[in-house]
Amino acid sequence: MDLLRRFALGEIDAFETVVRQFQGDIYSWIVRIVRDPGIAEDLTVETLWRIYRARHSFRPDGNFAAWARRVATNLAIDHLRRKRPEQSLLSDPAGPPMPDQLVQRETREKIQQAFRGLPAKLQVAATLALVEERPYDEIADALGTSVGAVKLRVFRAVRILRKRLKQLGVSPE
Amino acid sequence: MTEHDDRQIREALKQSFSQVNTELRRDLWPAVLRKFDARPARVPWYDWVLIGLSVSVFLFFPQLILVFAYHL
Repeated sequence: MDLLRRFALGEIDAFETVVRQFQGDIYSWIVRIVRDPGIAEDLTVETLWRIYRARHSFRPDGNFAAWARRVATNLAIDHLRRKRPEQSLLSDPAGPPMPDQLVQRETREKIQQAFRGLPAKLQVAATLALVEERPYDEIADALGTSVGAVKLRVFRAVRILRKRLKQLGVSPE
Repeated sequence: MTEHDDRQIREALKQSFSQVNTELRRDLWPAVLRKFDARPARVPWYDWVLIGLSVSVFLFFPQLILVFAYHL
């Protein structure tokens, strides 16, 4: 009997093999969205746990990686909804900043602030499409929606960002 | 919105977000196992219904407790 069939039947050995095989893929997808290795690890563990609990609904002839990615994306979206707005999305460079760096940092912070204000679903679509440059069909699959819907989300995210950045006095160049 | 606008936003975002390392640093199987241990098995709703029914029956017909105890 193949691995995914044994996993769907609840065999713990099969699940362990599945975890070892797919944990890297799931983690790399989540960390692209949440951009924090620690949180991404926690969410990967939670994803694997939920996958195990939902194993009865998985068809062994289906695409496990795509299913896992969808569960992971939903968890990442939930995390972004819960996340405190003051949490930083990037690590600051070491050492005291120079005046130019200060301006750059301020601009970056304003862009981040505007980005964090986006609805979670738009944030995920924009991060994956614009920052990570993932293909639209891959994003659509992970979000459980169509390519057209993803393009619309990215379009809306850019429009809102542009408006907010204008309000904050930042002009992207 | 033009393609140029889109490119500007894309560049601004890429500069504002630091690159993330997408490589997993450790095996997460032990953490998954800990989650198994941490979460107690949940009692399904129909078990609660059965327990409720049994308690009700014993409340209204206490003599059945003896019959039940005899068959244990």
